[in-house]
Amino acid sequence: MNNIIEVKNLEKKYKELTAIDNLSFEVHEGEILGLLGPNGSGKSTTMNCILSLLNFSKGSIRIFGKEMKPDAYDIKAKIGVVFQDIAVFEELTVYENIDYFCGLYIRDKETRKKYVEDAIELVGLEDFKKFYPKKLSGGLLRRLNIACGIAHKPKLIFLDEPTVAVDPQSRNNILDGIKKLRDNGATIVYTTHYMEEVEILCDRVIILDKGKILATGTTDELKELAKIEEKVTLEVHNFDNENIEKIKKLTNVDEVTFNGSSLVVTYKKGKHNLIDMIDYLKKEGIQYNKIYSERPTLNDVFLELTGKELRD
Amino acid sequence: MFTHNFKYTLKNLFKDRTLIFWTFAFPIILGTFFNMAFSNIENSESLNIIDIAIIENEEFKNNEIFTTVFENLSDENSEDRLFNTTYVTEEKAKELLENKDIIGYMKLEDENPKVIFNTNGIDQTIFKYVIEEITQTSEIITEMATKEISKQFVTGNFNIDYDELYDRIIKLAFEQEVELNNISNKNLSYTMIEFYTLIAMTCLYGGILGVVTINKSLANMSPQGKRVSVAPTNKIKVILSSVCASYLTQLIGIAILFVYTIFVLKVDYGNNLGLVVSLALAGCLAGLSIGTFVGTIFKTNENTKTGIIISITMLGCFLSGMMGITMKYIVDKNIPIINKLNPASMITDGFYSLYYYDTLDRYIFNLTSLLIFSAVLIIISYISIRRQKYDSI
Repeated sequence: MNNIIEVKNLEKKYKELTAIDNLSFEVHEGEILGLLGPNGSGKSTTMNCILSLLNFSKGSIRIFGKEMKPDAYDIKAKIGVVFQDIAVFEELTVYENIDYFCGLYIRDKETRKKYVEDAIELVGLEDFKKFYPKKLSGGLLRRLNIACGIAHKPKLIFLDEPTVAVDPQSRNNILDGIKKLRDNGATIVYTTHYMEEVEILCDRVIILDKGKILATGTTDELKELAKIEEKVTLEVHNFDNENIEKIKKLTNVDEVTFNGSSLVVTYKKGKHNLIDMIDYLKKEGIQYNKIYSERPTLNDVFLELTGKELRD
Repeated sequence: MFTHNFKYTLKNLFKDRTLIFWTFAFPIILGTFFNMAFSNIENSESLNIIDIAIIENEEFKNNEIFTTVFENLSDENSEDRLFNTTYVTEEKAKELLENKDIIGYMKLEDENPKVIFNTNGIDQTIFKYVIEEITQTSEIITEMATKEISKQFVTGNFNIDYDELYDRIIKLAFEQEVELNNISNKNLSYTMIEFYTLIAMTCLYGGILGVVTINKSLANMSPQGKRVSVAPTNKIKVILSSVCASYLTQLIGIAILFVYTIFVLKVDYGNNLGLVVSLALAGCLAGLSIGTFVGTIFKTNENTKTGIIISITMLGCFLSGMMGITMKYIVDKNIPIINKLNPASMITDGFYSLYYYDTLDRYIFNLTSLLIFSAVLIIISYISIRRQKYDSI
C-alpha cells in the first residue's frame, strides 16, 4: 500500500505550549483518514504543518514521496484544501469564486470550465451559480467552500471540519460528495470532532488529544479498546435498589446506572446480553417502555483513553 | 495566472462598495464641498493686494535681500504685485495696525524679522510665509558666503573682490533655492491649495486598496489568503498581480476626480497638468505602498487596517494644510521633519512648487521623495511577504 503522506516525529511549539507532540503517522493511497479530537487537540495545526503553512520545531513531512516545502509547487498542484473558515470572496458569485480558485491550479480555460461545472454538480449548487455568497445559507456556503477547494480534481484532499454548523440536508450532501471524491480515487484527510461522521466516512482514524496520538486504527479496531462491549438502555419509571443490585450480579454486567427514567447497563463482553436482560425483566415482571442495545462509540473509546468525553 | 488573478482582483475591488466609496465617491463629494465653500473666498480675495508696513530702520535699509524682495513684491507696475507696502516708523506702524489700515508689519532686528499682527487670517499667513522664505534664503546666502570666503583663504587668496563675490552668491542662491520673485499674487489661489490636498488625500486613500489586496493574499491574514498560499503559485507573483490591479483601480479613481474637477467644477490646473498628473501617479504609488505596508506589518482585521489608513491620510492631509494652510506653515516652521516624511505634504508641496516657482527643482525633489518613500515601504513589505511559513495563523 502506497503512503501518500508520511509524517515523522512532528513537533510544533507555541512558546511554552506544545501543540503537536512527536506525531508520526502515514496516510495510505485511496483511503479516508479521520483525524478525530476535541477542539484544541492539534488537528488543524497538524494539517497546517503538513501544508507548509506553519513552521514546526522538529520532524519531517513527505507527500507523494517528496519533502513538503512552501515552494513544492509540483506537490501542491495535486493537493486540495477545504479550510474550516469559509474562504470565499463576498464580491464574486458562486461560479466566479470556484473559477478563481480553480484558476490558481488549472491554466487551460476549457478544462477549467468543465472542472468548475463538475465541482458545482458534486456539491449540488447548480441552482445557485450566479448567487453571491451573502445570499447563501450556511449549508450552501459550506458547499461552496468545499467546491472551491476541490474543483481542480486533486489527488490528495484535506478537509478541516467541513460540516461545522450546517443543516442535516447539507451535511448529508457534503458527506456523499466526500465519498464520491474517494470513489474517484482521491486520498482524503478528514479532521472533525464529530465521531458519527468518522464512523460513516473514515477507513482509518487517528484519535488526537493535546497534540498526541492516543490511538490509531479502523473504527472497529478502536472500539476494541473500549472497556465495554455493549450498552443496554432501558426506559422504566419505577426501579428499586434491590433490582439494581440483582442486575449487577447478572453475567457480564460491568456497571448499572439509573437516573429515574432510564437504566443503563454496560457489559464488558459477551453475547446475547440484550436477550438475557429481557428474560430477566420478564421473570421479575418489570414493566418497561423501551429497551435497546448499543455498541460502544468512539466517544466511549475517547472516554476510556482520556477520562473525558470527546464533545467536551 | 497573472492575468487570471489580475482580472478577478479588479472584479473584487470594483464590487466592494466600501472601497468604491472611499476611493471614488468620497473625494468627489469633498471636492464638491470645497468648490462650494471656497469659490466665494477665491472671488472675493484673489485680487486683493495685502496692505503691510515695514519698519524702515537702518538694519532693513542695509539688508539688500529684504529690500529687493519687498520692492519687487510691492511694485505697482507689476502684474505680480502681492503687497501694498508702507515704510514707516514703529509708532506709525502700530497706529496703522490699530486703525486696520494694514494687516501687519515687519521689523528687522538683530538679523531676525519680527512679524506683528492683531488677528490671524489668510493674508497674515501669506505675509508670514514670505518673510519665512526670505529668512531661509538669507541664511543660505550667508552660509554660501562663509564657505566661499573660507575657500579663498585656504587657497591663499586674501585679496577678495567682495562685490564680485556678492553678485555671484546672490545669483547662485536665487538659482538654487526659493525663488522669491515668483511668490506673486497671480499664483496664490486658496481653492487650488484645497484641491491639491484633495488629490493628495485621494492618492493616499489608495492605501485601502493595498490593505485589501494584501489581506486577501496572505495566509496569516485571511482564509482566502490561506487558500492562495496552498496553491501551486508563487505568492509574490499573485501579490504583484493584485497590487497592479489595485494601482489601476486607484488610477481610474484619480482620473475620475481629475475629469470631475476639470469639467464639472471648472478647476484650472494651469499649464502644468502633465506634471500635476505625474505627481498624482507617484502619490498613488505612495498611497498603495502605505497600504501594502500596513497590510503586511499589522496583524489585525481589515476594518482596523482601513481605519489606520484613513487616520494616516487625514492626519497627513491636515498637517499639509487641507484644513487651512496655516497648519502647513506652522509644521514647516516648527517641526519641518514631519512634513519631510509626510507623503501628503510631499504631494501638496510638489503641487505648490508648480504654482509658486518657475523652476522644477522643488517639484522634482518632492517627486523623488515620494518615489523613495514608496520604495522603502515596498521593500519592507516585500521582506515581510517573502516569508513563506508562519509561526501561527
